[in-house]
Amino acid sequence: MGWLKQIKMFCRKPHNLILAVLFLVLVILTLLPLISIVMDTFTVHTSEVMRIRGTHAGDFTTYHWSKVLLDGDNSLNIFYKPLLNTIGISLATCLIAIGFGGLMAWLVTRTNIRYKPFLSAVFVLPYVMPSWTLALAWLNFFRNPLVGGVPGLFTVLTGLPVPNWFAYGFFPISVVQGLHYAPFAYILIGGILKNMDANLEEAALLLKASRRQILMRITLPMVKPAVLSTFLLAFSSSMSAFAVPAFLGSPVRYQVLTTQLYRTLQGLNPGYGYLMALLLILIGVGIMLLNQWVLSGRKSYTTITGKSSQIALVHLRRLRTPLSVGFSALLLCVAVVPLITFAVESFIVEPGNYAWSNFSTIFWVGEGAVDVANGEPGILRNAHIFSGLANSFLLSLVVAFLTGTIGILAGYAIVRKKDHWLAHAVNQLTFFPYLIPSMALGAIYLSMSVVPHGPIPALYGTFAILILIGVIKYLPFASKAGINSMLQLGGEIEEAALIMGIPWWKRMLRIIVPIQKTSFLSGYLLPYISCMRELSLFILLISPATNVLTTMLFQYNEKGWNQYANAINLLIVGVVLLSNYAMNKLTGASIDKGIG
Amino acid sequence: MPEIILRQVTKKFQKSIAVENLDLTIDNRGFITLLGPSGCGKTTTLRMIAGLESPTTGEISIGGRVVFSSEQGIDLPPDQRDVGFLFQNYALWPHMTVYQNITFGLENMKWDKKRMKARADELMAMLRIADYGERYPAELSGGQQQRVAIARTLATGPKTLFMDEPLSNLDAKLRMEMRTELKRLHRETDSTFVYVTHDQLEAMTLSTKICLLREGKLQQYAPPLEVYNHPVNVFAADFIGSPNINLLTAVAGAGSAQAVPLVLNNGQTLSFQMTGGELPSEEQMLHIGIRPENVVLAGTGGLPAQIVATLPSGMETVVRLDMGGVPLTAVVFGTIDFAVGETVPVGFKTAGHILFAAENGRYVAGGAVAV
Repeated sequence: MGWLKQIKMFCRKPHNLILAVLFLVLVILTLLPLISIVMDTFTVHTSEVMRIRGTHAGDFTTYHWSKVLLDGDNSLNIFYKPLLNTIGISLATCLIAIGFGGLMAWLVTRTNIRYKPFLSAVFVLPYVMPSWTLALAWLNFFRNPLVGGVPGLFTVLTGLPVPNWFAYGFFPISVVQGLHYAPFAYILIGGILKNMDANLEEAALLLKASRRQILMRITLPMVKPAVLSTFLLAFSSSMSAFAVPAFLGSPVRYQVLTTQLYRTLQGLNPGYGYLMALLLILIGVGIMLLNQWVLSGRKSYTTITGKSSQIALVHLRRLRTPLSVGFSALLLCVAVVPLITFAVESFIVEPGNYAWSNFSTIFWVGEGAVDVANGEPGILRNAHIFSGLANSFLLSLVVAFLTGTIGILAGYAIVRKKDHWLAHAVNQLTFFPYLIPSMALGAIYLSMSVVPHGPIPALYGTFAILILIGVIKYLPFASKAGINSMLQLGGEIEEAALIMGIPWWKRMLRIIVPIQKTSFLSGYLLPYISCMRELSLFILLISPATNVLTTMLFQYNEKGWNQYANAINLLIVGVVLLSNYAMNKLTGASIDKGIG
Repeated sequence: MPEIILRQVTKKFQKSIAVENLDLTIDNRGFITLLGPSGCGKTTTLRMIAGLESPTTGEISIGGRVVFSSEQGIDLPPDQRDVGFLFQNYALWPHMTVYQNITFGLENMKWDKKRMKARADELMAMLRIADYGERYPAELSGGQQQRVAIARTLATGPKTLFMDEPLSNLDAKLRMEMRTELKRLHRETDSTFVYVTHDQLEAMTLSTKICLLREGKLQQYAPPLEVYNHPVNVFAADFIGSPNINLLTAVAGAGSAQAVPLVLNNGQTLSFQMTGGELPSEEQMLHIGIRPENVVLAGTGGLPAQIVATLPSGMETVVRLDMGGVPLTAVVFGTIDFAVGETVPVGFKTAGHILFAAENGRYVAGGAVAV
């Protein structure tokens, strides 16, 4: 059979065509940029010509590698200290997330604590909200005048000074990220505790094991894979987190890898930045490989689920009411109080003065005065902010539409051609961006987009590049959703139509999509919400014309225009919470589903 | 009218070969079963004929028209092969009512509403689901869903109907009922049925011809009773029939076609009178295939055997025996209850026994066993 005929036969099946196209596009969009960033670590950049003597822009150099990794004190400051800080913070974050999330999961699934639905719903809120929400709230409460500026609410209310270690740096970053990622632990561990067949524990009980023995020998070993998995997930997430360390670390020049990456890329040494992005990617890939290894084979028991007959709940007795009320109050502090502080801060004219006379709406509806923030009008009359809001919506909608649709098509094609190498390759390629920290992905695209590459024009500063990077970043979620829903569906339901001669587009629109509409919908909504609150992915790539809300928030905060930052943050949180609520209503799926 | 011909069809998956060099001719208006244990390639074969899967090499033609040929680069899509397909899990579209399920294919063929309704009504009446037109699949029982699936498949009037274990999700009673129904449908629709099953009883009772597959290779293609009475090898003999055929290992001695001495494991000797096949060579290792119903318990002068278990099911009784270390199963009509450990004389009916070569399992000779 001639190869032309073979190609013709291959292309006649839509899923083949989709796979082939996706394969090409994804290779160009994910693998080639990786090569580009590796090259960039060996290249002299325009802004570096003065520093690296006797070279021209574009020359080959090992300067970046030797300076970042092998140059004694210099390397210590540029790379090794931030690396140690990153690792320290990530470890502390994991500890807090697992301790707090695991405790909560146990309380909700295995004890008779009160208000379970409430606790469960509120507990995952910090994760739904943007990660920097708590960081900003922390600043609102605990910022101190030691690094300049005005004291926060805590000092104003109590008169006590806040020491630097408490206000900035390692401690607050770890606590805030720990609280932000605690829902990981809650969902993963809670899921297992909830679904674990009660018979497993009852069998031990019948063999006269004590409660302690059951916990130590049965329950904990069963939960261990989930704990490990949470650990790796929280570790890699907090390692690649940018917003929280940027808000809480930079006032005292506490650097982690991501903030260092941002600094060097924005500064005069992009080569350092690219190199650090590369190292971040390597660490990320390493952690994910570790995770797969942990989850593979006999080490995981997650598949053991049963009908979960009601297991006897631990009676908290006299502690029941205090614990219930205490935890509810704590969660309210973490999830709701921050929002109130944003509102309060956004109405205060002179920062740090909480007297009633100091309250004003000028930052919301003021026309802008010369003495306040360079004459910037209030955010509800501010054309600049409106354009950011419009950009945010437009970007999220376009990214969600593209990602969701590509996710469905990818899922469809991958499942239909399950055992073929091409399906495997496309599956890996769609998953690949998940391994790359957002900041590093941004760096990759920055490296790619400043000059044209063959047919691809220099996209830096355009809206298109934001869309592109958004689609790439969220494709793993969307294609996962697509694959899962196609797997649920099974092939026969489509074949039954195929055999009747129903054309492909009609099979998709009349059969597959209507049946799986809710799960496909989540493939659209998840990227939408993520995109709406994304900062680190876009921060390197935006230009004044393409500013979105999150990057504006970051810039206002950098300038120290607290009121604007708080107001915008409130806006973002509002949009995100509303979207999340809409998603729960539309798809019937919520993050804490089935645990509370 | 369609006659389906497969020539040297091979399907390879990543590492395994699902179907190997299959040659098969399915007669028009036949009711053919593809039978075999799970993983033998029967479903793959069916899907290849229907066009849901592409063979690696080979050629398939339906009604004289080549629908697949690896050499000529032909691979017609399923809808151009004029076939219907009934899936194991019915694959009803859950978001459409029974009526919509049945008429979706017709709608696609741009039938007008009136004609569509008439056709749907006719089918629903024929399959006795006339009252359920407005219901959704989830609101129907398994048997009813099955009927809807059949109606949907028949709606466009395919000349050939493919069925992939269509009864395996039904309970025993419904399955009996649907078997009768399928036979009726086959008669009424006047089309060719190709049926996949791993249930030998289903294959025996339904089909005009059984195509027995094992590990992707065709074992025997013949009418059911021929497969039962003249299996080509140990596998065919063992797979068809319940309870399973007795396979006694023996060594042939020197003899003539009139009387081949067969020495069993336990040292006892049987005599085999050939009616066909070839004379086993001396010292050849053999399996003697004896159907349980051909074992006689009440005779006199037989070999002594101990009762291991008696399994009465009302109409018949299965008796497990131990004949000096050789296990043996017998089926007796009616109810007999032996005490465990009791010794009974065992004899054999005078025809219908088969010798297989132990080396490769092939048929050697047929005839009668005598004590």
